[in-house]
Amino acid sequence: MKILTTVKKVVDVELNIHVKDGAIVEDGLQYVINAWDENGVETAVQLKEDSGAETTLVSIGGGDNTDVIRRCYAMGIESGMHIDDPALEKADAFIYARVLQKVFEAGDYDLVITGKQAQDTDNGQTGIILAEYLGLPCVSNVIGIEVLDDKHLKVSRSGDAGTEIVALELPAVVTVDVSINEPRLPQMRGLMMAKKKAIEKMDLTALGTSADEIGCAAPKSEIVAFMATEKRSGGRKFEGDAAEITARVVDLLANEAKVL
Amino acid sequence: MAKVLVVAEIKQGVLKGSTAELLSKAKAIGAQTAVVAIGSDIESLLPDLVGAGADQQYIADDARLALFSAGPFAACVVDAARQFDADQVWFGFSESSKAVAPRVAAQLDAACATEITDVMFEQGHIEVIRPAITNKVLQRVRINTERMVAVVRAGAFAADPELAGSENVVRLAPPPADLKAVIKELVSEAGSEIDLADADIVVSVGRGARNQDGVELVKALAEELNAGFGASRAMVDAGFMAHNKQVGQTGKIVAPTLYMAIGISGAIQHLAGMNGSKVILAVNKDPEAPIFNVADYGIVGDLFEVVPILRQEIKKIRS
Ligand SMILES: Cc1cc2nc3c(=O)[nH]c(=O)nc-3n(C[C@H](O)[C@H](O)[C@H](O)COP(=O)(O)OP(=O)(O)OC[C@H]3O[C@@H](n4cnc5c(N)ncnc54)[C@H](O)[C@@H]3O)c2cc1C
Ligand SMILES: Nc1ncnc2c1ncn2[C@@H]1O[C@H](COP(=O)(O)O)[C@@H](O)[C@H]1O
Repeated sequence: MKILTTVKKVVDVELNIHVKDGAIVEDGLQYVINAWDENGVETAVQLKEDSGAETTLVSIGGGDNTDVIRRCYAMGIESGMHIDDPALEKADAFIYARVLQKVFEAGDYDLVITGKQAQDTDNGQTGIILAEYLGLPCVSNVIGIEVLDDKHLKVSRSGDAGTEIVALELPAVVTVDVSINEPRLPQMRGLMMAKKKAIEKMDLTALGTSADEIGCAAPKSEIVAFMATEKRSGGRKFEGDAAEITARVVDLLANEAKVL
Repeated sequence: MAKVLVVAEIKQGVLKGSTAELLSKAKAIGAQTAVVAIGSDIESLLPDLVGAGADQQYIADDARLALFSAGPFAACVVDAARQFDADQVWFGFSESSKAVAPRVAAQLDAACATEITDVMFEQGHIEVIRPAITNKVLQRVRINTERMVAVVRAGAFAADPELAGSENVVRLAPPPADLKAVIKELVSEAGSEIDLADADIVVSVGRGARNQDGVELVKALAEELNAGFGASRAMVDAGFMAHNKQVGQTGKIVAPTLYMAIGISGAIQHLAGMNGSKVILAVNKDPEAPIFNVADYGIVGDLFEVVPILRQEIKKIRS
């Protein structure tokens, strides 16, 4: 089984993010591997270890992606490519999906693993659109994968009414949720080895396509401004005798907030 | 005039409130509206579908649609969208919607906007507002295509109680089955419990509850209040709570009148799922817990001590 796993470098959401004049203040931002993609990488590596899968990753955009890709190498991914091109500056999910389509078609993959969503966009679209473009079956929000044979997986996804069990025929696309596994921490040795591994760098031409073919000039949507979210402010906090403060708060909920 | 197709949200045979909310918004902007309902044995929902306020109803009712499968569901939505000639397709917020919307967008060559909280018809184009980066910022997004598919964040639009629809039913042919991704089984976790998404009060349990006993203690409070019972991811990962009970960025988005966070620290990913609640109550033994930064009322204390008193006091006040 040949696996292509997608990895995006995204802004670290745990740090403060400030908005000024409709744009995010770049100063002080840090970049990390998208959390869901880390689960995707872990999924791929487990499939390598348990079922002998071959693992390749692709990351698009993001400038210098070396650290992110090396981290995935250290986790056990065997090869990786980084696609970057100035034409991708305004890429939306459809454009990324078109690029991924080219990557898929240039390889001979059985399974594409993407994250359920990217932490910077929170779109949750790219993998599903890719599957549509490729005409492949797709299961999103996957929380478990079992290999049945060369051509079939049994996957579980978290759905509205419970866990849905799906028989999936390869080639296919899955998007994984963070609940699927606990990504391993790369070890020092792995990180050292990862430094020696090559990262294949490509622009759209090297990928065998062009900005025109991908439709880079016409994103279906584009962000015109960022705004600060309305911050909730903390209200009243009660400390002291549990019986007393709890009775007080229940009274406030009923008679002040009127929500009981 | 804009033509908005709303995808009906049906759970366990019941039409959910999001359907009327989305139709109300569509009407408020002067759109012509239709609703598409997909499922098995849903014919009896027709009065509710009309009542939800659409000018037209598309119904795909087939035994093979009993279990959710993104491919066939998307095919039904696309079929209805084409017949209605919709330029807007709006979904309520659910896991199924998130799976189907991008498919529909790709098939209709439409833009796709997920988790929108507002939609504005500007001159010659549409703009939407949506949170991003784990709710740390809002994006204003310009839609460049004629058509848009959107998933609307829970609680974004209010239902207009005056809204009345008219009955114009079109029955859709059953879609082809997805032979390559076959839904085999639904391991149901829902039961007859109150749906988190439309509960007036939601009580959620976090790692502070430690074990099954702690979970039962908090659950009793939820039952007392007739509230939805949710959890932080920590409790889902630990196996104490079902997946579909997770509140947060990668779980359910809730916006109840009252949200009670019991033994939950208040990580940004949890907040992203509940900070649209009208009133938040937090119980946490750590006075520095970040949840207190968003809670309207905070009780600093041990939940094992506080929760039984909470139950008692609520019982008192309600009787
Ligand atoms: C990509 C990604 C997506 C995520 N999505 C979600 C999501 O959708 N939903 C979600 O919830 N999380 C999500 N998380 C996880 C999130 O970051 C936190 O790890 C999680 O919310 C923590 O759960 P918790 O508050 O129950 O546990 P903890 O953070 O461990 O907090 C437990 C709290 O209980 C308090 N406590 C302990 N004992 C007691 C007691 N006896 N009485 C009262 N209080 C007590 C402690 O003071 C503490 O504040 C996500 C993380 C990532 C990376
Ligand atoms: N620029 C990118 N490079 C690599 N993978 C990406 C990129 N954009 C999106 N993806 C993949 O698609 C998933 C969903 O992204 P999104 O649709 O933006 O939420 C991510 O978790 C990634 O796995």
